[in-house]
Order: sequence, then C-alpha cells, then structure tokens
Amino acid sequence: MWAVATLVFFMLRAVPGDPMLAMVFDTGDPAAADEMRRDFGLDQPVYVQYVKYFLQVMQGNLGTSIYGSRVPVSRIVAEAFPRTMSLAVLSFLLATLIAVPAGLISALKKHTPIDHGVTLVAFIGLSMPDFWLAILLIIVFAAQLNWLPAVGYVPLAQGFWPWFSHLILPTIAIGTPFAAIIARMIRSSMLEVLKSDFMRVSRSKGLLEKRLLLVHAFPNALIPVVTVMGIALALLMAGTVVVENVFAIKGLGRVLIQGILNRDYPVVQGAILVVSAIFVFSNLLVDALYTVIDPRIRYD
Amino acid sequence: MIRKKQDRHGIVRESIEGDLAQANDFDRRDPLFGLSHQDLCGPQLERRTVLRLLAAAGTLSASHLVPGMGIRSAAAAKMGGHLRCAWAGTAEIVTLDPARMNQVLQFQITSNILSGLTHIDANLVAQGDLAKDWTVSPDGKEWIFNLREGVKFHNGDAFTADDVLFTYQRSSDPKKSIHSRVISNVADVIKLDAHKVKIVLKAPQASFLVKTLERSSGRAMTIVSRGALESLGKSQYGLTPVGTGPFRITFHELGQGVVLERNEDYYDPARPKLDKVTITPITDPEPLAAAIEAGDVQLIGGNTPASELVDRFETNSDLVVNSVSDPGFQAVWMNPWRQPFEVTDFNKPVDQLMKQNGFKVRLALAKALDRERFIKRALFGRGFPAYGSINPAMGFFFDKDLGENSPQRYEPEVAKKLLAEAGYPDGKDFPKLRLLHNPANRRRAQVVAGILKRNLNIEIELDTKDGPVVLQDYLQMNFDLALLGSGGDFDPDDAIVDWMQTESKFNGLKRDKDKMAFGYFSDKRADELIDQQRLATDPAKRKALVQEANAITSAKVACAFLYHPMSILVYHKTVDYPAVSRIPGLVELDRVTIS
Repeated sequence: MWAVATLVFFMLRAVPGDPMLAMVFDTGDPAAADEMRRDFGLDQPVYVQYVKYFLQVMQGNLGTSIYGSRVPVSRIVAEAFPRTMSLAVLSFLLATLIAVPAGLISALKKHTPIDHGVTLVAFIGLSMPDFWLAILLIIVFAAQLNWLPAVGYVPLAQGFWPWFSHLILPTIAIGTPFAAIIARMIRSSMLEVLKSDFMRVSRSKGLLEKRLLLVHAFPNALIPVVTVMGIALALLMAGTVVVENVFAIKGLGRVLIQGILNRDYPVVQGAILVVSAIFVFSNLLVDALYTVIDPRIRYD
Repeated sequence: MIRKKQDRHGIVRESIEGDLAQANDFDRRDPLFGLSHQDLCGPQLERRTVLRLLAAAGTLSASHLVPGMGIRSAAAAKMGGHLRCAWAGTAEIVTLDPARMNQVLQFQITSNILSGLTHIDANLVAQGDLAKDWTVSPDGKEWIFNLREGVKFHNGDAFTADDVLFTYQRSSDPKKSIHSRVISNVADVIKLDAHKVKIVLKAPQASFLVKTLERSSGRAMTIVSRGALESLGKSQYGLTPVGTGPFRITFHELGQGVVLERNEDYYDPARPKLDKVTITPITDPEPLAAAIEAGDVQLIGGNTPASELVDRFETNSDLVVNSVSDPGFQAVWMNPWRQPFEVTDFNKPVDQLMKQNGFKVRLALAKALDRERFIKRALFGRGFPAYGSINPAMGFFFDKDLGENSPQRYEPEVAKKLLAEAGYPDGKDFPKLRLLHNPANRRRAQVVAGILKRNLNIEIELDTKDGPVVLQDYLQMNFDLALLGSGGDFDPDDAIVDWMQTESKFNGLKRDKDKMAFGYFSDKRADELIDQQRLATDPAKRKALVQEANAITSAKVACAFLYHPMSILVYHKTVDYPAVSRIPGLVELDRVTIS
C-alpha cells in the first residue's frame, strides 16, 4: 500500500494540468491561485509535500479536497463506500448465483447443446460492454416499461425497496460479465477435476453421482475459482466507474475518476489508498478461504 | 421568447432576428433617447423606462403588454409540489460557496438559494433583490442602497448592512475568494445604518449593477451569512450554504445530489411556489434522456443537453423544449506568436495589417469558417453565427449587422485568395496545425477541421486534452489553434473586458511575458473604447462604444468568432416555467409550478 501510495503521489504530480489554474480560470486572478497553492502547500518542493503527506497518512488523515468545497477526503470516501459496497455485493451475489449452476451444468453436459448454449450466453455476457448493457437496461426497464428508476441511489436507511430498486439495473449491468467469467472458470476447473484419478477411484467405488460432484469434485474445483472471485470482488469495489457514471451513483470509482479530472491530488491519493487496501484485504480473504475449502492448505 | 415545439431551424431564428430588427439606433426615435442616470436608479425602474429599455432591446411582445399574461399569469399559479431535476453534464456539484464557484451550473443552483443586492431579469436588466432601492451620485462613483428590512437568513439570523460589509470583506480577500478581482473597482463599502450601505467605486462602472452586484453570476457580492459560515465551517458551507433566497438547502452529498426546500420566510410571500426541489447530477447523455423520458426527473438544468438529445426531446409530446439565446460566445483562437498566423502588432490599421502574411492567414481562416454549416453539423442547428463577443442575449448591445459588415463574414473564395497571397495556394505547403480542445468539444473541433479542409484544403489535427490541461496551455499561449469561449456573459464587460483587452484576464495570463508582449490580441484603440464603455453611464453612448470595440476585434481578427450558443431548458409538460423566470443561462425555480 505504501508503494502504491508513493507511486500515485509522484505520478499525479507528473501529470500536466494545474488544479489551481483550472479553479481560477473563470476569474483570471493569479493572486487567488497563488494563495490557494500556498494554502495547500503545493508551492513547496515535491519531496517536502511527500513527507508531509506520508506523516499525515500515518496519523490516519487523508487530507482535504483541494477542488471546490475542500471537503475532507475521508468524508468523500466514507460517503462513496456504502454505495460501492451495495453495488459490489449485489453484483457479486448475482454473478455467483448465475455462474455456479451455469458452470456446473456446462461441465457436466460437456459438448452437448446445453453446454454450447451456456457457452454462447457466457460469451455474449463477456463481450457486452457494461456501459452498453447499462444503457440498454435503462431504455427498456426505465424509459419504456417504467418499472424501475433510471438513475440515482437511495441509502438503505430510507427503506429496502427504494434502495434495492435503484440497484437492480446497475447490478445486472455489472454482474452479468462477471457471471460469464466465473461460469467459464468453474466449467474449466470442473472439467479438470472430473478427469483426475481420485474422481475415477471415487466413481469406481460406486459413489452416487450427485455426491461425487457436489462433495468431491466441486470443492476441489473451487480453488482457482475462488482466486478469480476474490479478484472480481476487489475489481467490483473500484472498477465500476463506467456503470456508476451511467446510473449517476457516486461510488469509489467515480470519486477516483472525478479526482483525476479535477487534478484533486488528495482525493485521488486517498481513494487509491482505500482501493489498494480493498485489494490487499480481499486477497487475504481469498487466502484464508483456501484453508476452509482445502484443509490440506495451512499457513504456518 | 419561449419556444414550445417549434421548428428550431426556421421559427426561432427568424423570430429572434425579427426582434433584433426592431432595435433602434441612437436618434430621437430611439426609445432610449434622453434617459438619464437618475432614470436608471433602482429598485424598480419606472414602467416607462422599462418599456423603453425593452423596446430598445427588441424584446417587447404582446405578452408584456396584455394584462393577465406573462408575470401575472405566473403569480396566479398554484403552490406546492416536488420538482425533480437532473443537472446535466456534471458528476457532482463541487461547491455552492460563492467565493469558490467557477461554473455556470453551480450558480444556476445558488441563484435559488442565495441573494444579492440585485438580480437580472429575463431581459438581463438589473432589478432590486436585497436592495429595496438605490441612488447613484452624479459622478457615478457613490451608490447608496436601501436594503430590505425583515429579511432573514435560512438559519434565522436577520439580514443587515453588516452582512453586506462582511461579504465584501470576505470576497475582496484573495485568500478567501477567487472573485476578488471582480470587486477590485470597489474602494469602500460603508454602513450608513442597519439597512443602508454606501458603496464607493474607484471609477464609474456601467456594469456595476449587472456584473458586480448580481446574485448569480456576480458571486463576489452574493450575500453570505457570517453566522452560518462560522457555525458550519468553510467545507460544510460550500455544500449547504445559508442565504436569504427562495429555497434553503436541506441535503447535499457530493455526486448524489442536492435537495432544496421552500424558504417559508422569503421576503416575497408569493414565492417560491414549489415545496421541494431535488437536483441529481447526471453525466451521460443517454441516462439523462431516459431519466426525463421515464419521468424520474421533470426538468433538466446544468449544462445544455447534447444537441442530438434535444432533437429527440422535441419529438416527445410529454416534453417542452424551451430555447433562448445563451449569453456567451465560442471562437477559434489563433496564436499570433506562431507561424503561419504571426502578428505581433495589431495596432496598425487594417489595410496595413492586410499586407502581412500572418494576418492574411488569420483572416482567411476566419472567412473560411462556414458558421451556418458548423451550427447545422456540430450543434444540430442550435446556435447563432458569431462575428464578435457581444451575444444576442444582450439584445440592446448586440450588433445585428456585424455579420454583414465584419471582414470575418463567410466568403470562401476570398479566403482561398488570401491564403494564396500568403504563400499557400490551395493550401499547398500549409503547415499542419493542431486544434486544442477539451473532450466535450471534440465533435465541434472535428467539424471545424472539416470545414477548413473543405474550404481551404488545409489539414488540422485534433489535439484533445483534459480540461485543466487545455486551460493551462491556453493561458500559457501554448497552442496553434484553440477552441473555447465564454459563458454567463450577461453584460458587455463579461465579453469585451474579460476577453478583448490587452490586460484581459484570459489574454495569455500565464504566457512568457519576456517573449510575448500580449497573449492572443492587443489593440490600443479597442482598449480605449472598452475602458470608456466601462465608465459610460449613458446606455446609448455605452452601446456605441461597445459596438465599435466589438467591430474592431472582429475586423482585426482577435480570434475567428464561431457561434453564440443557445440556452435550452427541457422540462415535462406538467411543469409551468413562466416567461419571467426564463433568464438565459439560469434556472430560476422560484416561480415555477408543477401540476
């Protein structure tokens, strides 16, 4: 995380575009820009800025936004986090609900019309750009049928249905491609396991096919799948910016992009730090899950 | 000038040109003839004065004269309701603190929350807002404002002269406000009593009421609450500012939206009509369209929606597309410090400038710009050809004949000839130029490049950069050609003072001053005229000065003026948006009703 934060810090300052100049362009007052630059310590050498930033972060202070209202970065991130979390968890659940049965059926019915059908649907799911699917969903379900809201987000505190109804379309838009990826992963992993020696032995022992698949094959096929799902969850927490934009939901991804566009250094640094923490912890979670799925794996 | 479901190409333009045709020149038949500065003292201009100003601006219509129409019909409308709005083209409303705001879409919102001493009306004439009335000294330097009594901020604090002083002190400090330069002509603000202030100017300023004291675009003197600033802190005040306007903010989360609720204590008990307004920022065009088509939102504010969407909205019988001329201009800027359009001294007469190859190339490019074609291709017909920085929304100051008289008028054959004389016959050996623009202007840049290729056979490479980089390059004069311009120009000062003087704030602000004596343009005569019009309190005299300066900048090709945009409001037919609230560029919701 320190390496990521350092890299982002210096890369941001190498990107052209003066945030202060952009803010005062309308007024054309260089004095105001200079004052703001001093105010935020941006007139100091980069290494001094870096040391100050590092000490600040060590104290749990992500700084304040330099663009607009100067809102604390922690507040911006804290406001965005529940939106991203809601979206990511629902999308992840949807992806899993579609992918597990689809992957299993596809593996069991290998080279049958069912397998081809599932494969075709998976490829369509994979090939569809999420923003395109999002817009299509809005046109059909919001504009034409008027069943669901087109844009926006309502906090869960305001009721389950208002919250859920605003998330259905973005969840489908985000979850579908991930479902396709995971389904393909489960299929190939299952096919690998089904060919293995222990499966032949188990089958020759006369185990029931259902037990064979669900108790012996599936857990063994899960190791690579869980790895992919862990990465998918981390990606969902920060990589849904396009869909967030389409549905006007300000999650972490949108915070990040907006920060970059505004050259709002503290916001970008803070958001990247949170995103990298999510990646680290989701990988840690995946590693811990390995031990549950396969008791042979132990971390001494 | 409301247009509902009319043919945008024909009717709107014909009508506006018709309006402009009625404006008179300065003579005894001129409606403004004989108006003195006393006539222009506020708060409410006399009916006779208003009618003369309107007639001069060419904006009188039957609705202003027939009892029961216009303002009166709006006042009779019903109260209550919740209006849901989308704010187009933005991901978040980064600030609503007048000291920090730098976008039109921000002061569109604050104009409904905060107040100023004055506020412009639909004809861009200043009317009293928190100022009940005012007088001006004969030398035009001392303004005495009587403030409304009994006005309360949204937090319950009483509004007094101290708030005007506090606002001035805050805004004049560049550490606290980015708009300190706007009030640099103010020498002092003196409290005469609890509800009377005197503002002393360093020099008379014709635009004082419309530019400096205006509550929306002015910003420097948009009244802020000292108590709220101290209790909320700067950050929170930027999100939920406290003012004395018709609505108060009850919620603002960055990126998620803003909620406004009716201010029960507003000084005009008849306003606002609505109980609640929700504003959701929406960046992408298609979700924006779906949101209004599905009825999720009933009005689109913020940036003007993409032109191709407006076509679609016009065919939807549930929606109203309300178009008026927008106060602004867009241009193609040519760097005079670079070949092939190098001109390092614009002070020479035009006939001498015409001997320079650099000037010939500048003029050739300006003349080759087929503005009608550009507007059709890039704006889907929604815009007006520009030949100067003064826009049609300014009505009275707009020069309707400039398109015919300016050397920049479209003449492709003459443009080709000029280019050939400059050493580039049929575009041969013409250097490949880069056109700097931001991503939002890409389509427009493509059309400009296409038109120049078609008419002059020259290659223009698109140079798309992020907004902050475009601004940095522009202010450093680090470009060949740049496509950008101005918005929210309610007064001529917003155009010619801000853009066309040697010391204008956009004129190469960050250039290398050792190598470049000025930015993109400098002309002594234009500078003088612009300075004179700033001081002219006689509207007719000011108009003449403004138009002469505007004509010089056009003739000497300060830039290739391209178009004046249209201000387009889209709303559901259940929304009644009265004509009196249709201030170009703003979204005034205090008189809006919903059925």
